Amino acid sequence: MRRVVVTGLGPVSSIGTGVTAFGAALRAGRSGISQITSFDPSGFPYRNGGEVRDFDPAAWLHRLPTDRWGRSSQFAAAAARLAAEDAKLDLDAVDRTRAHAVIGTTSGESVVLEALTARLVEAGFDAVPPQLVEQLPAGRLAHAVSEELGLRGDSLTLATACSASNYAIGYAYDLLVSGESDVVFAGGADSVCRWAHAGFYRLGALTEHACAPFDRDRSGIITGEGGAVLALETWEHAEARGAHVYAEVLGYGLNCDANHPVAPDRDSIAECIRIAHRNAGVTPEQVDYICAHGTGTPANDLVEAQAVLEVFGANPPPISSIKSMIGHTMGAASGFGAIASALAIEQGFLPPTINWSHPDPQLTGIDPVPNEARPATVRLVQNNGFAFGGNNAIVLLGAAR
Amino acid sequence: MTALTINGLAALSAAGDRPEALAERATALAGERHPGVSVGGIVTEDLPRPEGHALLDFDVRARLGRRGTSFYDRATALAVVACGDALTDSGLTVDDTNRARVGVVLGTTVGSLKSTSDYTRETLVQEKPYLVNPMLFPNTVMNCAAGQAAIRHKLKGINATVTGGPLAFFNALRYAGNAIRRGYVDTMLVGAVEEFSAHRAWASASGPAGGEVPAGEGAAVFVIGGGADSAGRATICAVTTGYGPDGTAEQALTDCVARALHVAGAAPTDVTLLATSETSTAGTRPQRAAALRALDGHVPAEFVLSRVAGDCGAATPALALAAALRLPADGDRSGLILLTAHGTDGGVGAALVRR
Repeated sequence: MRRVVVTGLGPVSSIGTGVTAFGAALRAGRSGISQITSFDPSGFPYRNGGEVRDFDPAAWLHRLPTDRWGRSSQFAAAAARLAAEDAKLDLDAVDRTRAHAVIGTTSGESVVLEALTARLVEAGFDAVPPQLVEQLPAGRLAHAVSEELGLRGDSLTLATACSASNYAIGYAYDLLVSGESDVVFAGGADSVCRWAHAGFYRLGALTEHACAPFDRDRSGIITGEGGAVLALETWEHAEARGAHVYAEVLGYGLNCDANHPVAPDRDSIAECIRIAHRNAGVTPEQVDYICAHGTGTPANDLVEAQAVLEVFGANPPPISSIKSMIGHTMGAASGFGAIASALAIEQGFLPPTINWSHPDPQLTGIDPVPNEARPATVRLVQNNGFAFGGNNAIVLLGAAR
Repeated sequence: MTALTINGLAALSAAGDRPEALAERATALAGERHPGVSVGGIVTEDLPRPEGHALLDFDVRARLGRRGTSFYDRATALAVVACGDALTDSGLTVDDTNRARVGVVLGTTVGSLKSTSDYTRETLVQEKPYLVNPMLFPNTVMNCAAGQAAIRHKLKGINATVTGGPLAFFNALRYAGNAIRRGYVDTMLVGAVEEFSAHRAWASASGPAGGEVPAGEGAAVFVIGGGADSAGRATICAVTTGYGPDGTAEQALTDCVARALHVAGAAPTDVTLLATSETSTAGTRPQRAAALRALDGHVPAEFVLSRVAGDCGAATPALALAAALRLPADGDRSGLILLTAHGTDGGVGAALVRR
């Protein structure tokens, strides 16, 4: 069976763009949270977000005409370009019909949808510019990647909400394992928007200042944004061109709660972990680190921790949440988690859970790697992603052997 | 590639809530265009035109009861009903012994455009921007329909939502085929859904085809399994998708059709019906031309769903397949159905299905 490796990382995040800046920020435990500027937050009780303030698409994109594409598509394309460059992949030497783009998202072109809606509220449907309608389809996130890199293979946007990047990485893994492709750019993208900010606030899932996963007093998420794309190749393809390998994708697991539209389900998540382990051919004791879904809501972190304790026993591996640093980047979240996991393996450290101050007596046994990155030998990482709709997705990454 | 069998199907469209109704309408029209019906009774906002292709009598409570359905939007309701009908048609009983091995993958364009836009609207027009209804928040997320289908029918296998507009059904078929071949599930409910709303009607009218046909709606779902028991059943022989960068979508589609023929081990003359996703059938038809180029001069019979049921967006190819599989047996029902789609930009797809 073909093996699949990670050869390029493309983070466009609130704590840094490009693998060097992002990796340094993870190690430093930097926060990317600030007061929202992309919309007027003054009417909201809570106003913080994880915006990519310095995003300059023209600085990263070579081919994509930015005036025709929405913000989320630009995040996806810029992240893919960064991943291709980090992989030192000569796209002219690649069979472009066997090079695919698979991108996950929660809300697609949410900023475009909001501009369109604002126009129709002001002046009616017939005043909405056709350019906004043209930019709306969520399928364009993957198309932006295909267009930017000139890829002729599948161009698929998966809309499985907040675990969508793990779905994308998993599907990419299958496309490579089954011999359909040589290279896949996989990850996710989303943008900060009013409606998600409002919806999470009204669900009681938003926090005011800082996201503090696994803390006793955690009180919710911070909405975030960005693009996170990984260059994945078959081991043969990577070896033939002498590529640097960050990590190997060992497999993944998906399942569905089929129970509640928004509440996480402990038993179902535990089952998803077991499925992922089985598909990847690993056992719980081999896992060195869990990159948590870790949204920072009381419910998620409790349920996630309980599921982990159920599968791993009383002493699970360290489990930290990078959402403490970048907020909840929605469809990009597990893509950032996968990038952090690959860096943890390659550089030998555990990313911290920042903003952590009080142990939660309900989470006995959970080591959230509080506040400071920790040096560690990391051979196997479990990257968790859960979502509305009960769409659970877990990816296993291992050290390249 | 192992062929996948279609073990059951359902289709809800403006022609009715059974696939046969759509097939009968197509036969009766004999290539003419259905004008649509007045849709003012189900839409309160202004419309670009008074007609549409909507299921005027559709009532999710009549089909599924009140319990669990009160926050469904139209797209979710259509999809959940279609999934149930398809399961019934397949005869598959889902219980604790198999529910983890049955999954769902649905295609969409942006989910429910109306649900999402209305939600955003509330943040603009309410006294405070956060005075939105938390119970409706999941409807703004594109996986709402697939997630609710899983809840309603208790399907715990892989649950996915793929985008792409008219291309989404091809993405869904490929996604489902992979999940079955990789052994993650035994059965997938594969379909696509699009709802009628003022938002979609305006979006359709401002699209490249300029609203030549009115906006439509519908959902079609297929129960798909591995090829073990394929006797007498329709089979999906090949599904190919690709991307044509720099304005090369037409060439990419020709390549997709050629690849599908190769995968299916079929000759162009085996294709007896071509169903494109076009919403314009006047003037030049680049999608049809791109498909025919791969057929080397062979010109099969044609079925353009949008002429029968309007611009059904993501649901178009799925509805076309459901109708084609239920066309009356008097004509040439043998051979291969060739489905094609062009989404946005360079996104294209093709599928070959043996009747």
